[in-house]
Amino acid sequence: MKVAVLIKQVPDTTAKVGITSGSVDEGAISKWSISPYDEYALESALSLQSGSGATVVAITLGPERSSKSLIDAAAVGADELLHVVHDGGLGSLSLQKALSEAVTRVGAEVVLVGKQAADTNSGSTGPGVAKMLNYSCVGLVSRIEAGSDGFEATRSTPSGMERVSVKLPCVFAFDKGDVELRRPNVRGIMMAKKKPIEKISLADLGVDNTGEGVSTTSVDYPPEKPEGQRFEGADAAAEVAVKLREEANVI
Amino acid sequence: MGYEALDFYDVDSLLTDEERMIRDAVRDWVDESVIPKIENACREGVFLDEWRQDIGSMGILGAPLKGYGCPGLSYTAYGVICRELERGDSGIRSFASVQGSLAMYPIWDFGSEEQKEKYLPGMATGELIGCFGLTEPDYGSNPGDMVTKATEDGDGFVLNGAKMWITNGTIADLAIVWAKLDGVIRGFIVEKGDPGFSAPEMKGKHSLKASVTSELVFQDCRIPKDRILPGVKGLRGPFSCLNNARFGISWGAIGSAQACYDSAKSYALSRIQFDHPIAAYQLVQNKLAWMLREITKGQLLAYHLGKKKDAGEWIPEHISLAKMNNVDIALEIARVSRDIHGANGILDEYPVMRHMANLESVKTYEGTHDIHNLILGRHITGIQAFTKGA
Repeated sequence: MKVAVLIKQVPDTTAKVGITSGSVDEGAISKWSISPYDEYALESALSLQSGSGATVVAITLGPERSSKSLIDAAAVGADELLHVVHDGGLGSLSLQKALSEAVTRVGAEVVLVGKQAADTNSGSTGPGVAKMLNYSCVGLVSRIEAGSDGFEATRSTPSGMERVSVKLPCVFAFDKGDVELRRPNVRGIMMAKKKPIEKISLADLGVDNTGEGVSTTSVDYPPEKPEGQRFEGADAAAEVAVKLREEANVI
Repeated sequence: MGYEALDFYDVDSLLTDEERMIRDAVRDWVDESVIPKIENACREGVFLDEWRQDIGSMGILGAPLKGYGCPGLSYTAYGVICRELERGDSGIRSFASVQGSLAMYPIWDFGSEEQKEKYLPGMATGELIGCFGLTEPDYGSNPGDMVTKATEDGDGFVLNGAKMWITNGTIADLAIVWAKLDGVIRGFIVEKGDPGFSAPEMKGKHSLKASVTSELVFQDCRIPKDRILPGVKGLRGPFSCLNNARFGISWGAIGSAQACYDSAKSYALSRIQFDHPIAAYQLVQNKLAWMLREITKGQLLAYHLGKKKDAGEWIPEHISLAKMNNVDIALEIARVSRDIHGANGILDEYPVMRHMANLESVKTYEGTHDIHNLILGRHITGIQAFTKGA
C-alpha cells in the first residue's frame, strides 16, 4: 500500500510575519516548518508504515525552499519524496489538480493531509484533491486504523468523537491527532541527506496555472485587540463578575 | 515567551544542513522535555531516567565516534549538541559529555576489538551508562600523582583506591578507571557489580543538582584480565578524553550563556520601574550589549575550534583557551543576568541562578580555569608553572 502525505511548508508558528503592500513578506520569514496539521497526517502515515508496511510518499508543492520540509519528512521516515516546484500564487483548482496528478503519479490509494494549512487556513486541499481523484474524503480526522479492506477513522464532531469506516481509495484530512510527530534522530537525519527528492514542474503534471478557483487577492493584519480593562479594589468585584459572565463568557 | 537563541553574527549559517537539523531536534527536545522538568529535578536532586532514554534514542551519544553503532558525526555537530543540551542544563550536557567523551571515547580509541563490540553499541543507545574515574580526593589538578593502584593477580587485576567527583558514577553500568599498574597509569573497565566496587552518591551539591555525582570506591576490587585498555599508557589516555570533553564544554557554555541572555532580555523588556521597562535604561542596555558581545565572540571561538578539530589541525592549548574563555564569560553572563532580574533572579521561575550555580562547577571541572591559564602560560613561555621547582 502506498500512502501519500501532502505537506505544506508554512512560516513557523514562532516566526514573525510581516505584510508589504497586501502580501506576506516571505523573504523576511526567519523559519519555515511543516504545517502542524500536516504533521499529524505524516505521523499517522508513519504508523501505517510500521503497522502495515505501507510505503510513505511525502509530496509538497511550493518554491525551492519547500524541499526542506521533504527532508524533514524523510528524517522521520518518509520513504519517497516528490517536490512539485512552483513559486508564486496558484489558483485553488490548479493546486488541487497538481496535487491529485502527483498522487496518481506515485500511485497512492490513500492520501493524508492536514485539514488546513497554518498560513492560509483555507481548508480546501483535502476535499478538493479527493474530488478530483474521485476518492472518498473523511475530514477532521484524529486517528486512522487500517482494516481488512479499508480504514476506520476517528473524527471529531460537535457532539463528540465519531468512528467511521471507509474503503480505499480515500483522503483523510487531519485535525489535531492523538500522536505528535515523532522527533527525528541522528540516524534519520543522516539517511535523509542521502534520500533523493524527485523534482517536477506543473507542466510535467500537465497542469496550467490558470488561476481558476480561489486565489488570494490581498492579506492584512488582524484587527488590533481592544485595550484591556482595569479594575481596582474589592468594590469592583460584582462588576467584574458580570463582565466575565456576559462579555468574556468565561464563567 | 519561547526561547530565541542569540546568534548575532548568524554563525549557525556556517553549519551544514544536517548539523542544523540535529540542532533543531535537540533544541526541540530541550524545550519539551528538559525545560518543564528541570527545576523540579534540581529540587529533588535527580537526573531523570527518561532523559537518558530520550538522549539515547535521539542517537547523539558519542557523537563524533564512527562505527560500533556510534553516530559518526563531525566534532562541530558534537559541539552543537552540547550547546543545545547545556542551554537546558549543564547537568544534562555533563551526562552526554561523560558518556561520549570520557567513557565511550577511551574504549573506542584505546580498547580492544572485543571491548568495542561489547560496550559501544549499548552505550550509543544509552542502554549502558558509563563514567570516568580519574580525579581522587587528594589529586584533582595533579592526577599524575594518583594513588589508586592496580596489581596483577593470577588471571585478573585487583584495584584499590578511591575516585571522587564522578559524574554518572552511581547510575553507571561501567566505569573507565585510571590506576597505576607498576607505577604506570593504565585504563581499566570496571563493571557495576564487580566484587569490591561501590559507587556511593555525593549529596549536598548547590550546583549540577540534576546530575549524579559519586565516589568510586575500590576495595580489593577484582576484575578479569581483558578489562584493561590495551591501547594507551600514561596520562595521555585520560588527557585525550578530557580534550574531547573540554571541546564540548566550550560549546556547551555558550548554550548556558544564551539561556541567561534570553531570560535577561525578555525580563528587561517586561519589567517596569520608574514608569519604563528597565531595558530602556542605559546601564541595563550596557549589560545586554556586553552579553551579546561576549556570546558572539564565544560562538566564533567555538565554531572555529570545531572546524580545526574536524580538520585535525588543533593542539590541546586551542581547546584550553576555548573552554576557559567560554565558561568564564558564561558564568559572568549568568551573574549579570541574575543582576538584571533583580530579586526575581534568585527564584527558580527563571533559569539564571541555576545556570550560574552550574557554571561554578563547569569552571572547575575538566581542568580548572587557572590550570588552563597555566597550560597557555607554558605554551607562551615554554616554562611550566604547575609545580614549584624542586
